[in-house]
Amino acid sequence: MNDVIIAILRSGTPLVYVTLAGMIAQRAGVWNLGLEGIMIIGSCATILGIMLTNSFWLAMLIAIVLCVLASVLLWFVIDRLKANPIIAGLGLTGLGIGGTALAVESIFGSQATVSAPFGVPRLGPAFGDYGVLSIFVLAMPFVVFGLWLLLRRTRFGLQLAACGEHPFAARSVGANPSRMRLVALSIGGVLCAIGGAELAAGSLQFFAQGMTSGRGFMAFAAVIFGAAHPVGSTFAALFFAVVGAIGIRAQLSFGDKVPHDLLQALPYLATVFGVWLSGKLRGGAKAAAGFAELRDQ
Amino acid sequence: MRDRILTVIRSLIFVVFALVLCAVVFQFAGYNAWLMLTSVADGAFLHPGAVQQSLRWALPLFITAAGVSISFRAGFFNIGAQGQFYLGAICAAFAAEWLKGGPAALVVPACFIAGMAGGALWALWPGLLRLRSGTDEVITTLMGNFLAGLLLIYVTSGPLKDPSGSGQQASSRPLDAAYRISNSLGLSPTIIVIAIIVGIVMWLLVNRTAFGVLASLAGRNGTMVQWQGAKLWQLGLASFLISGALAGLAGTVELMGPNGRIASGFLPTHGFTAILIALVANLSIVGTGVVSLFFGGLASAALYLPIMAGLPAAAIDIVNAAIALFITARAGFLDKLFNIGRRPS
Repeated sequence: MNDVIIAILRSGTPLVYVTLAGMIAQRAGVWNLGLEGIMIIGSCATILGIMLTNSFWLAMLIAIVLCVLASVLLWFVIDRLKANPIIAGLGLTGLGIGGTALAVESIFGSQATVSAPFGVPRLGPAFGDYGVLSIFVLAMPFVVFGLWLLLRRTRFGLQLAACGEHPFAARSVGANPSRMRLVALSIGGVLCAIGGAELAAGSLQFFAQGMTSGRGFMAFAAVIFGAAHPVGSTFAALFFAVVGAIGIRAQLSFGDKVPHDLLQALPYLATVFGVWLSGKLRGGAKAAAGFAELRDQ
Repeated sequence: MRDRILTVIRSLIFVVFALVLCAVVFQFAGYNAWLMLTSVADGAFLHPGAVQQSLRWALPLFITAAGVSISFRAGFFNIGAQGQFYLGAICAAFAAEWLKGGPAALVVPACFIAGMAGGALWALWPGLLRLRSGTDEVITTLMGNFLAGLLLIYVTSGPLKDPSGSGQQASSRPLDAAYRISNSLGLSPTIIVIAIIVGIVMWLLVNRTAFGVLASLAGRNGTMVQWQGAKLWQLGLASFLISGALAGLAGTVELMGPNGRIASGFLPTHGFTAILIALVANLSIVGTGVVSLFFGGLASAALYLPIMAGLPAAAIDIVNAAIALFITARAGFLDKLFNIGRRPS
């Protein structure tokens, strides 16, 4: 039983952090499809940072700075240049995946994976079987609670939600929707950096090209599934992780009867199901509306 | 007319801006940016045989992009062109497998029908989910891309597996030479004729039929069109199906023309590039044709870059992504800059 929970936490934690990033952006009214790209920048920067500086925390700092810069770029394009968030987000994703591949190739010359000597600090023997997990797993519930406090119990959080739902009304009471989006996307950049670091250095300690393989988009779906609520989105992300773990289990036990490529499809199918269900329950969110609302000036 | 030309010029300026931005980044990454730009031009148009290569990439891209522009016009973000492209290729490959040995005059059209049906099918379920339950099509079509990629891996390493394959990349058994519509260079009169037919039919559909006009209106203001008595439901589903069928057609062309077989993860950026083409062309069909030539040139140059400039082929993906980041920018000051929208068109 313990190993199943460990597997779920390992695959679920990166997804949860990235989902929280998407959730904040969603609350501010930005459909952030660049999550995938920002996350892979975080993964790549963490591994390369560890190799360059030989210190995990310095590497983490580099990853956070790069991810926040990428988020600010997305904010600039969406908010200042009034680009379509969906296409711009997909563009940022392409930049992240291509850019990290190019960075690895230009530094190491080959397309192989890059391994780091060590990864995120572990919890240690005090936690028994769970000691192999990284500190970000333990931090996750506190981060979720902190974001819940921030978004639901502070003036800032309410203003953020107002800016997302009705920018014009928010502006009329003195909030600045544009600045709110910048803050939301920047916080999202930090969370994506943590998610990317956890993915690459949490249990694996290597970076491979395109290693996020759609997790950013899955996180985005978790945001929709969880109605952009901090706790709801977290549970949606964990649900996808559980489905993924079931898929891996099923591969081990029925791998000879069912082709394993089709079992790998389970998380994607769960995502479609989740988005469909949330549309049924709440009438569905419309992507097209997502960018019409940005045009409030 | 003047406004339309200015819009095109604005799109081109973004493309040039993205190219220059990428060149600067590559320069900092330690590559020779000037060599990159010249070898892109060389590999796309100047090198002997480069124009044919560019056309080889441009024609399938044009077919997919024409479909993408239909669903974008109708207001649906069908970004699943990649998955629909894969499904088209898979269904056509199955049709060719089952009808093996039949006369080419029968098998080739059957493959095309199967391919278009496969692509349309892969657009049907996100379309139905969107129109029946309001499920956001951006996520469902994206997930459809991943699912189609897995299906392609399964098909090429299972039912259609080529036992003599190298093991590096799973691929299907090659098509009989009699069923191929071009050699492996990928340019033949058949493909050119298919692309021209698609272009003409789509242009007529968009500009000269009630469906095309209503779909474009529905994309701008669905409520108004509904009040005027059009069935939004039918318009939306038809545009999903047409865009899927065209992506499937492009997949079939790639299978029966240049590739002759399907391999796991082949042409992974086809759908994304097609979306870009449709957006750069501002969703016009004629524009899509012209812009495809440019992106076909970039795709052809991507194969040429590693040899000439020592740049990885991924460099072209980065250029494409940078274009995507900026191409939809519609800020007010940009309009003023290019003097668009001052007078009613």
